[in-house]
Amino acid sequence: MKIEGWTFALGFLFFWAISGAYWYLSRDEVGTTLLVLTGALAFLVAFYVLYTAKRVYPRPEDRSDGEIDEADPEYGFFSPHSWWPLVVGLGAATIAMGLVFAVWVIVLGGAVLLLGIVGWLFEYYRGEFAR
Amino acid sequence: MTLLNEPPVTSRTTEAPVYTPRRPSIGKAIVNWVTSTDHKTIGYMYIFTSMIWFFIAGLMALVIRAELALPGLQVISLEQYNQLFTMHGTIMLLLFATPLFVGFGNVIMPLQIGSPDVAFPRLNMFGYWLFLFGGLIVGAGFLTPGGAASFGWFAYAPLSNAVFSPSAGADLWFIGLAVGGLGTILSGVNFVTTIMTMRAPGMTMFRMPIFTWTIFITSVLVLVAFPVLAAALVVMFIDRTFGSVVFLPENGGAILWQHLFWFFGHPEVYIIALPFFGIASEIIPVFSRKPVFGYKGLIFATMAIGALSFAVWAHHMYVTGSVYLPFFALMTMLIAVPTGVKFFNWIGTMWRGSISFDTPMLWTMGFMVTFLFGGLTGIILSAPPLDFHVSDSYFVVAHFHYVVFGTVVFLMFAGLYFWWPKMTGKMLNERLGKIHFWLLFIGFQVTFLVQHWLGVQGMPRRYGDYLPVDGFTTLNIVSTVGAAILGISTLFFIWNVLTTMKNAPKVTVDDPWGWGGSLEWATSCPPPRHNFTSLPRIRSERPAFDLHHPELAPPSARSQPQISTSASQSGGGPS
Repeated sequence: MKIEGWTFALGFLFFWAISGAYWYLSRDEVGTTLLVLTGALAFLVAFYVLYTAKRVYPRPEDRSDGEIDEADPEYGFFSPHSWWPLVVGLGAATIAMGLVFAVWVIVLGGAVLLLGIVGWLFEYYRGEFAR
Repeated sequence: MTLLNEPPVTSRTTEAPVYTPRRPSIGKAIVNWVTSTDHKTIGYMYIFTSMIWFFIAGLMALVIRAELALPGLQVISLEQYNQLFTMHGTIMLLLFATPLFVGFGNVIMPLQIGSPDVAFPRLNMFGYWLFLFGGLIVGAGFLTPGGAASFGWFAYAPLSNAVFSPSAGADLWFIGLAVGGLGTILSGVNFVTTIMTMRAPGMTMFRMPIFTWTIFITSVLVLVAFPVLAAALVVMFIDRTFGSVVFLPENGGAILWQHLFWFFGHPEVYIIALPFFGIASEIIPVFSRKPVFGYKGLIFATMAIGALSFAVWAHHMYVTGSVYLPFFALMTMLIAVPTGVKFFNWIGTMWRGSISFDTPMLWTMGFMVTFLFGGLTGIILSAPPLDFHVSDSYFVVAHFHYVVFGTVVFLMFAGLYFWWPKMTGKMLNERLGKIHFWLLFIGFQVTFLVQHWLGVQGMPRRYGDYLPVDGFTTLNIVSTVGAAILGISTLFFIWNVLTTMKNAPKVTVDDPWGWGGSLEWATSCPPPRHNFTSLPRIRSERPAFDLHHPELAPPSARSQPQISTSASQSGGGPS
């Protein structure tokens, strides 16, 4: 995890160094804000990943001698197929169209979106694939 | 009943039954695609949809070229011309090139890191729907009475505000791109998470294929750049619809929009370039029969390009007169260094290699020639004194077509010819592929090389017409003829896909090219639902090569405890 973290940490160092230089040279508020916030985003990720990396043993994928069967047998849960992304996507797109054309379309889209989000969240809490 | 009458089995002489899935009915197949959470299927949908947009925007370009061939308006009106070049740029950048990166990343990246899927399969599909619906909303502008957006793909304020562009098509443009941009952000999150947490054991960061590295860096660029675009689009939409005043010129909004747009817009260029550099870095070693030269150099060059790409945005704004020129000129010239490192590494890989000119390699070499020209004119444009003379002229048009077309289109076809057997189980026809390449290469150079001179002579971009006395006619005719050749070349690709789909034999080996290095060549063509039936031990950046050529593998990889030979037997088709 260290390399992943350092990728972001280097970005953070670069962006804050460059934003200081840029502010000193140009006094441009917009660009400096953008650069500082970009650095902050990099810091956020770098801090979390490096903080985690200090507290876990190197994972099998971090070690150059990792063997395939060292991978976690509970590898993860992968949704086999799902209708809900389509429903949520339709809801979002309908709201977007409503913003351009009419308020009632927004309401309609909001209903579809809500239905989709509920369905998505609770898809694996019940029925065939409950876990 | 019959089972009881069967003679008892004494010895197993027959082979185990091979599972051959029945071809599903049309309806079932559509449901399978629409509800899919398989990263490969979603990737195919991304690639297919973005190719459709590519053809649509390509046809727009042909209409534009037809209009520009001669002075006077023969084909379309000026307003239609404005809509066409706006939508051509918008579609090519945001509905073709960007989703194409997501498509290739989806299909190939999980295979390359030995993962069964991406980290968030449903989010992945959601991202596709947002891209599809967002794109349809943007395209729906053509169906409104006022026509589609006509303010250029970078939508400068105040031209794009409610006073100067009151049409519903413009509203649809802003909100549709915001929807599609959200999909791209979600894909970026998905890719970063997948690469950080789902690699196979032994696949350390510095053993990942270069393509996966470029997907990683590109996804980080997406996470920074696209939220800025989304914010700018939504705020402009609020300006237009609800009357806020953020982007009014009297509030400094014109420059603010340019800053925000180009802070997205320049990284966007690298978002659509870096993954395709990654494709080149995958193809060149395979067809040079050499490991990639300067593996870490390529990775650090990618990181450097990614970092620098955020410090150069205002070189698009030199002529506004309100940016600090030396800073952006220096940073822009600096980007040439890591890009040069990449060229050095690609040439170093080919150097004294045993090169074979299969179609993927041919496309990659075409990319290297074309992109080099674009890069060199980029150096010219990075110098403010030179940029002032040719800014917003056809010189710039030629420059960015050399860069973007050279990278995205050439390497898209390289990647498609290269990974087609992995995606479909069929090889594309080499002869048709070579005709396709040479026609497209010649057509492209004829179309865009002359535009450099048009620009230097003073022909501005985005003008639908010019006068006979301007002296632009001859070169414009040449350019239009080139565009026609370019358009025709694409028919050979479509023909190639259709004939090989019907007639080509099934690929039965894991690695039809013979010297593939990364893990996607260690599974069947096409791979099974969760990609691998078994994984080889990963001891170098070329695990599949070590598996297939154990005599050349490092000693630690040679004593294979698990050998994947039967992966090609058990794969079903993409469902």
